[in-house]
Amino acid sequence: MVCFRFEGAEVKAVAGQSVGVALWAAGIRTLGRNPCDGTPRGMHCAMGSCQECVVVIDGARIEACRVVARDGLVVTAG
Amino acid sequence: MTADHDLIVLGAGPAGASAAIDADALGLKTLLIDEQDAAGGQVWQAPTPAGRPGSASEGETLRRRLAASGVRTAFSQRVWHIEPGFVVSTAGPAGTASSRAQALILATGAIERHVPVPGWTLPGVIGLAAATNFLKAQGVLPGRRVVVAGVGPLLFQVAAQVLEAGGAVAAVIDLNSRTEWLAQARSLATRPELLWKGFSWLARIRTAGVPVLSRHALRRIDGSEGVESVVAGTVDADWAPLPHQERSFQCDAVCLGFGLTPLTDASRLLGARHVYDPSLGGWTVESDADQKTSVVRLYACGDGAGILGAAAAPLRGRIAALAAARDLSRLTQADFAERVRPLRRDLARTARFGLAMAGLTMPRSGLLQAITSETVVCRCEAVTRAALDRAIADGAVTINDLKAATRCGMGPCGGRSCEDAAAALIAARTGHSRERIGTGTARPPLRPLPLDSLLGDFDYEQLPIPAPAPL
Amino acid sequence: MSEFDLIVVGGGIMGCSAALRASEGGMRVALVERAAIGSGASGVNAGTLSLQIKRVALMPYAIRGHRWWQKAGDKVGFRRTGGLTLAFNEREATLLEERMRLKIAAGGPIELVTPGFALQREPSLTSRVIAASWCADDGYASANRTGTYLRGLLRDAGVTYLEYSPAEAIDGGDDGFQVVTPLGTLKGRRLLLTAGAWTKPLAAKLGVEFPVHVRVNTVSVLERGPATVGSVIGHATGLLTLKQKADGTVLIGGGWQGRGSSEEGRGEIVPATMLDNLRLARFVVPPLARFRLLRAWTGFEAHVPDFYPLAGALPGIRDAFVLSCVRGGYTIGPYIGRLLGDLILGKEPELKLFDPARFAGPTTALAV
Repeated sequence: MVCFRFEGAEVKAVAGQSVGVALWAAGIRTLGRNPCDGTPRGMHCAMGSCQECVVVIDGARIEACRVVARDGLVVTAG
Repeated sequence: MTADHDLIVLGAGPAGASAAIDADALGLKTLLIDEQDAAGGQVWQAPTPAGRPGSASEGETLRRRLAASGVRTAFSQRVWHIEPGFVVSTAGPAGTASSRAQALILATGAIERHVPVPGWTLPGVIGLAAATNFLKAQGVLPGRRVVVAGVGPLLFQVAAQVLEAGGAVAAVIDLNSRTEWLAQARSLATRPELLWKGFSWLARIRTAGVPVLSRHALRRIDGSEGVESVVAGTVDADWAPLPHQERSFQCDAVCLGFGLTPLTDASRLLGARHVYDPSLGGWTVESDADQKTSVVRLYACGDGAGILGAAAAPLRGRIAALAAARDLSRLTQADFAERVRPLRRDLARTARFGLAMAGLTMPRSGLLQAITSETVVCRCEAVTRAALDRAIADGAVTINDLKAATRCGMGPCGGRSCEDAAAALIAARTGHSRERIGTGTARPPLRPLPLDSLLGDFDYEQLPIPAPAPL
Repeated sequence: MSEFDLIVVGGGIMGCSAALRASEGGMRVALVERAAIGSGASGVNAGTLSLQIKRVALMPYAIRGHRWWQKAGDKVGFRRTGGLTLAFNEREATLLEERMRLKIAAGGPIELVTPGFALQREPSLTSRVIAASWCADDGYASANRTGTYLRGLLRDAGVTYLEYSPAEAIDGGDDGFQVVTPLGTLKGRRLLLTAGAWTKPLAAKLGVEFPVHVRVNTVSVLERGPATVGSVIGHATGLLTLKQKADGTVLIGGGWQGRGSSEEGRGEIVPATMLDNLRLARFVVPPLARFRLLRAWTGFEAHVPDFYPLAGALPGIRDAFVLSCVRGGYTIGPYIGRLLGDLILGKEPELKLFDPARFAGPTTALAV
């Protein structure tokens, strides 16, 4: 089990899970808002193509589906 | 720092990893690059500890064989540019690198074909391939109560796996009719093990009492912050919605899929010739019986060279490796011919099955009618169908015209999620061929890259600023 | 076969502007374009409308061109943001001051300002600025919207335009010109070549050889991000243009060289050069490190050895004209295109043109 934070809240993940899937499993589906129309967006393709699950980790924008959850990660909405 | 190889293989799925293993055995100094942290691709992805063990035994075999080979691997590396010749630029956890090789095999696989549905941008809507990744590799249910919708065999696989993992399936909504499935029985019979799998999925779905709606489509997905319910309705033989035949289902997730389409950005970047072939999944890099593209010493295999499925992929990868070895003078034409013969025979057999499955998912004209004018087509730039229709009426006849007029495809995904639907809208309105409508110009980086990881540390004084422009 | 007063070959900013002017003056005008209207250099450049980076002798043209963009306004994504040009070492500071004084003397509304002024205006800039200049008129437009806008103007003016129809052959004689395209042959009394990097081979079809060279300029765009920089930012050497658009995307250019040629019709970025261009941008505006690079591409920029325009009569061929190789052509193009239109209409242009005869030599193979 590893533990990271999303928007301040603690999220638990099974070792090896992606940040995106761990958030999904924790019931957190909305990872950001579309900059053009403001609608909520979340994981969609889960293979690094669609860019809908981009979050900010350690200041860098990255697809949540491509980052393996690690202890202590600080994740904010994209 | 540019390293030299005989061959670089992009993509470590069944096709690419098989190509690399064989190329190595044929004496080629081979580098295999993939953005995942292990071989297997999407279909044979290595499960996480939370995933279902044994769900990817073909993948385990592949990974073992790769580890035992002399192939150099570069995992967790994102290819962001490829120059002719071939120079491959990558970015990974340790920064950027570039590698050079005389020959290049593209085995970059496929992505899901996206067909916009009203409400499809809501959190909780994931692709069918994404759902299989959740279930198999990551051991997570897509939702507590899931609607599975779209077209193709993955519908039943995902529904069955959701049930098996303890979730509920609110409905399976399939564009195809039962008759259309039965019409494929002969090609399905070439792969009895898969036919058997299919029957077991259906049995599980039936036992659970899940409604299976054939020749139905999602009319829309509803919810405010996420998926809350869907409305499904009947469609005609062209998949156009029929009025007044609607049912709604409460759910917290929708798994939506319309088949696969080859990923062509790398081959387009290299200027290879492409063909539009709906039976192969749409735009596909042109490749011959040796898996050679129109660019010298550039080969393509796997679903990226036309959707033929996972069973065909290793065969095409191995043919590509043989062709590369021959073209680099490591194999005589006679040896090549002898070795390639059994592979081609097996390929012909497996390809039939793959083509039949791709055929079931081939889009039909009526699909576009379900896209209402306020539906977002380009997810990144939030461009609606109405905006696209306006630009097309205003004279946009190519994808590049449409991009310039509406920003459709200019966002982070680079058009991978919207270009096919946008092109279909142009085709429907103008009657032009897909060849004339074209694709967006492929431009690096192949995926968005954070500047800090790309640029590294540097001194201003070290920047080679060219001489000033003339006064 | 229809008879036009003028056939324009090349549907970029300059060709369209000349066509529109000639049409205003009562001519029947046809325009042929190998791809889409405004899709060449007009559509893929970084969209900078900066008076500070214009050549001294072209300043009056740039100021007038700038007005056209301002008038086009929202339809082309025009923004008047003001622009800063920056220096980071003594050599650059000297260069900046020397050049800006000459540009101010040429009428450029530019002022030399302190580093403090620059940093106050743009707090995200690196603190290593040691000299700066400012022009309140500087700004940008969205190059990718140029074509859609120009197409509308052509349509409203009743100019016949053929897109995706390259001029496969051009023949000239005493009774005018014939331009052969895949969509048909056009016949006209006068001819104007405004084909940017492709002007050289077209002029050669008429037996005129120009020493046109082509630069392959790199442009990059960063993903939308938080508002970081409001002004158009340049570098004393002219080798950086940087702006954050209203939508949050950041465009970075400055003429760093890719490779390729207009003959192959294909340019490509060179990773090392593109990365240095981005490093310069990131040095100047450090918070850009957090942005993602979305796409990079190249565009062809034609020039002759003196880097002044080819703008005037095509030497030795009656009723044929050429307009190309305008440095700063995105800003200047709409204006100098109108001047060419005036010349073609037989009117005296408001500002002098740049006689192509200074370079032209006849080709040996062809005589008209």
